[in-house]
Amino acid sequence: MHTIIEPFRIKSVEPIYFNTKEERKLILEKAFNNLFHIHSKDVLIDLLTDSGTSAMSSNQWAGIMQGDESYAGSPSFFRFEKTIQDITGMPLVIPTHQGRAAEKILFSVLGGNGKYFVSNTLFDTTRANIEFTGAEGIDLLCAEGKLPSVPAPFKGNMDTEAFKNFIAEKGAANIPLCIITVTNNSGGGQPVSMQNIKAVKKICKENNIPLFIDACRFAENSWFIKQREEGYADKSVKEIAHELFSNADGCTMSAKKDAFANIGGFLAMHDEDLALQCRNLLIITEGFPTYGGLAGRDLEAIAIGLEEVLDENYLQYRIRSIEYLTNKLIDAGVPVMQPAGGHAVYIDAKEMLPHILPAQYPAQALAGALYTEGGIRSVEIGSLMFGKYDEGKSLIPAQMELVRLAIPRRVYTQSHIDYVAEVIIEVYKNKEQIKGLQIIEEAPTLRHFTAKLKPIN
Amino acid sequence: MKMVELLKMTTAAQRKKAMKEAGFNTFLLKSEDVYIDLLTDSGTAAMSDRQWAGMMLGDESYAGSKNYYHLEEVVKDVYGYKYLIPTHQGRGAENILSKILIKKGDIIPGNMYFTTTRLHQELAGGKFEDIIIDEAHDPENEFDFKGNVDLDKLDRLVKKHGAAKIPYVSIATSVNMAGGQPISMKNLRELRAYCKKHKIRIIHDMTRVAENAYFIQQKEKGYEKKPVKEIVKEINSYTDGATMSAKKDALVNIGGFLALNEWDVFEEARNMVVVYEGLHTYGGLAGRDMEAMAIGIGESVCDDHIRARVGQVIYLGNKMMEYGIPIVKPIGGHGIFVDAKKFLSHIPQGNYPAQTLAAEIYLDSGVRTMERGVVSAGRKANGENYYPKLELVRFTIPRRVYTQAHMDVIAESAARVYEQRNKIKGLKMVYEPKYLRFFQAKFEKL
Repeated sequence: MHTIIEPFRIKSVEPIYFNTKEERKLILEKAFNNLFHIHSKDVLIDLLTDSGTSAMSSNQWAGIMQGDESYAGSPSFFRFEKTIQDITGMPLVIPTHQGRAAEKILFSVLGGNGKYFVSNTLFDTTRANIEFTGAEGIDLLCAEGKLPSVPAPFKGNMDTEAFKNFIAEKGAANIPLCIITVTNNSGGGQPVSMQNIKAVKKICKENNIPLFIDACRFAENSWFIKQREEGYADKSVKEIAHELFSNADGCTMSAKKDAFANIGGFLAMHDEDLALQCRNLLIITEGFPTYGGLAGRDLEAIAIGLEEVLDENYLQYRIRSIEYLTNKLIDAGVPVMQPAGGHAVYIDAKEMLPHILPAQYPAQALAGALYTEGGIRSVEIGSLMFGKYDEGKSLIPAQMELVRLAIPRRVYTQSHIDYVAEVIIEVYKNKEQIKGLQIIEEAPTLRHFTAKLKPIN
Repeated sequence: MKMVELLKMTTAAQRKKAMKEAGFNTFLLKSEDVYIDLLTDSGTAAMSDRQWAGMMLGDESYAGSKNYYHLEEVVKDVYGYKYLIPTHQGRGAENILSKILIKKGDIIPGNMYFTTTRLHQELAGGKFEDIIIDEAHDPENEFDFKGNVDLDKLDRLVKKHGAAKIPYVSIATSVNMAGGQPISMKNLRELRAYCKKHKIRIIHDMTRVAENAYFIQQKEKGYEKKPVKEIVKEINSYTDGATMSAKKDALVNIGGFLALNEWDVFEEARNMVVVYEGLHTYGGLAGRDMEAMAIGIGESVCDDHIRARVGQVIYLGNKMMEYGIPIVKPIGGHGIFVDAKKFLSHIPQGNYPAQTLAAEIYLDSGVRTMERGVVSAGRKANGENYYPKLELVRFTIPRRVYTQAHMDVIAESAARVYEQRNKIKGLKMVYEPKYLRFFQAKFEKL
C-alpha cells in the first residue's frame, strides 16, 4: 500500500519557538509540574488537546470573513442550523459558546439531587457539570475497555448488562438521561459500535430514559464503524453518522473537535419542551438563541467544518496518522492503549512506571518527563484528573493512569510525529529516573487544571 | 472602508410579511430582511484592519495562549485592573461574579437596572435596588450626568439593611437603560468615599466606559484637556472590579471579561470559570478573539475614534429633533432613545407603545430598532409587570459600520412614521417566555 498523504496542503504556517532541555526543566518547575500552567510559547509540540486546536481550511476562513454579526436572526445561524439538522436529523438546534455550556444547560434542566446520569464514560467537564447539579455520573464501560493492552474493535461500548442491573437497582425514574460518548475520550478514543448503540437505545426505550450522544468525535467513530463493523463497509460515513444519531433523542457537541472549529458547540434534540427550557437558560448564560454566545463567523466555520469532516479521504488520513504513531511506540515496547484510538495516543503509565504508586500520579510525572525531554505537552488522564478522596482523606485512584497525546487536526506533519515518537522512546529508555509527585495545592473541582505539584524525593 | 458587507433591499410587502412572522418582535426578524440594523451596538462593530490581522495571529492553544497574556497586559495597562478572567461574553462574567459575591437576601444597589445584570443578581438570591438620580427617569430633563448615583438613596438602603447585606454597589458607565447617560467623575469620587466609609465594594459594568469618559471630557470641569485614556483609568480606579462585554466599546464581535483587584475573589472566579466558560486562560474564547479584543481596547480609548463615534450619534439625534421627534435628552453615547410614550401618546403602556413603534419603523424602511420599555422590564417576583417610567425605542448605532447617509435614511424614516402616528394601533402579547421575555415574546395587532 502506498503512503497515505494528507488530502490537503498548507496555506498558512505558525512558527514554533525552540528551547533547550535546561530551560524546559526550569519552566516545568515554575509551572509546579502542571503542564496547564505552561505558556504555549514554551511548548514545541502541543498535544495537550485536540480541542479547538485544529487548522481551519481556507473555506472555513472564507466563512469567517462572511460571518453575519447581527445579534438576532443572522443567516450564519440558519446555515449552521441546517447543516446540523441534515447530519443529525434533529430539528431543534441550539448554539453554545462551547460543548461544556451545552452540557451545563442540559444538566441544569435534567439534573438535581438523587439523580444518576449513566454513560459508557463521562469526560471530566461533563462529569463536573453533572455533579455541580447534585446528581451523580455513572460510568458503565464494557470490560475490555478497561484493559489498555488488550486490542478489541469497540472498546468504547457500554456494558448493557450493567446498565440493566443499574436501572433495576436505582429505578428508571431516577435516571433522567443516558449519554453515549463517541468516541470514548477518557477511555482511549475508542469507538462505540452501532450494535451497542442500538442495544442501549432499546434498554432506554423500555425504561423511558432519553438517550443523548456526546458527539464531539462522531465522524471518527463513524469511520471506525465503517472499517470494523459488519454491514457498514459499503455505507458512506455520512449515512453511518445519520444512523448513529437516529438512535438518539438528542446530542451535545463541542465543535472544537470534529468540526475543526477553534470555538463553539451546540445542543440538538427532538423534544420541543426540553428545547424551550434549554433556550430559557441559554439566554441567561450564553446569548440569544440565534447566536448562543458565538460570533456569526464562528457559526459559519462550524457549518463548513461539519461538512469537511465527513470526507472519507480525510478520515482515512486522520485515523491512519494516529495508528502510525501508536505502531511506532508499540514496536519500541512502550505500553500504549490498543488498538489505536481516533484522536490520540494513550501511554499506560501504570505499566510503564510500576515504581510510582497511583497516589504519586505516575501519568502526571510521565507527562512532565516528556515535556522536559522534548518540549512535548501532553495531558494526564488518571488519578489527578479523576481521583477522589475517601472520608479518611486518602486517594481513591482512577481506574487507569494514562498520558494522552492528543493530535490536533491538520496541524502537525509526519516529521513532527516522528520527533514525538523519538522523544517518547528516549524517555521510555530512562524511565527508572522518573520520580512520583505530590500535590501541594488544589481546587475542590476540576483540580487538574490548576493543581500545583512537586516531585517526591 | 477597507471591506464592505452587501445589504439587501426589501419591499413594503416583504417587510409586512416578515414582521408578521416575527410576531411583531424585532428580535425575531431574520437579519437578511433588515436594511439598517440598529437592534444593538453589541457585537456588531466593524473591526479594524489591525484587529483582523490580530485574528490571524490567534494562538489556539488550550492553556497559556499568548493572546491571553497580551490581553491581560492590555487590561492592566489601559483599564488598571489587576486580575483578568476572560469570558465568552459579558453575561458570562456577570454570572460568575453574582454567584461568588451575592448571598440570599442581599441587596445590590445600582444606577438603574440592566436586563441581564439584574437577572443574574436575582438568580443568585439578591435584590436589585435603583439608586440613580430622579432626573434619569425624566426623558426631557437635560442634566449632563443623568447616570449619577443619588447618595441619599444609597444611604437610606444602607441604614435600612445594614452595609453587611450589600455585597457591592453595581455601577454602570454610560447607563444603557437611561439612554446611554454618563456618570460624572465627581459623583464617582463621592460614591467611592461613601463606600469606603461603609466598606462596600464598587463593581463596574464597564461595557461603555470610553463613551462615558468622552462625556466627562466634554462636559466636566477640569477634564477638558485630559485624554480619554486617562479619564478611563481614573474612573476604574474608583472601583474594585468590573464586568465587561467587550462587544461594545472594545470593538469586537464576541468576548468579555471579569476584572478584579481582590486576589481571593479572583481565585474563586478562576475555579468557577472552568465549569461555565473554559479554562481561565481562554474563558471560552478562541485565541484570535482575545487578540482582537486586546487590539480593540487600545483603539477604543483613542480620542479621535470616540469623537467620531459619539459625534455620529449626536448627528442622528439632532436630525430627529429637527423633525420634532421626542427623544431622550441629552443625547447619549451609543444610540438615540425615542420616547414612545410621547410619540404614541394615544397607546396605553399596557399595549406596548415602544414595541409597537419599533415594529412600525421596520415596516416603513427596514430599519430594525429595539424596545426598551414595559416588555424589557419583565415581571416582579410576585408576577406583576414592572411598569418602568421610561418607555423607549432604542436606535443603537453599531460602531464604525454605518455612514452619515445611513443616518439620514434612519431620521427620515422616523419622521415619516411620526407624521402618521395617530393611525398606529397598539399590540397584545400572545406568547411570553419565563426569563428575559423581550427576546422571544410574540405579539398581535389589536
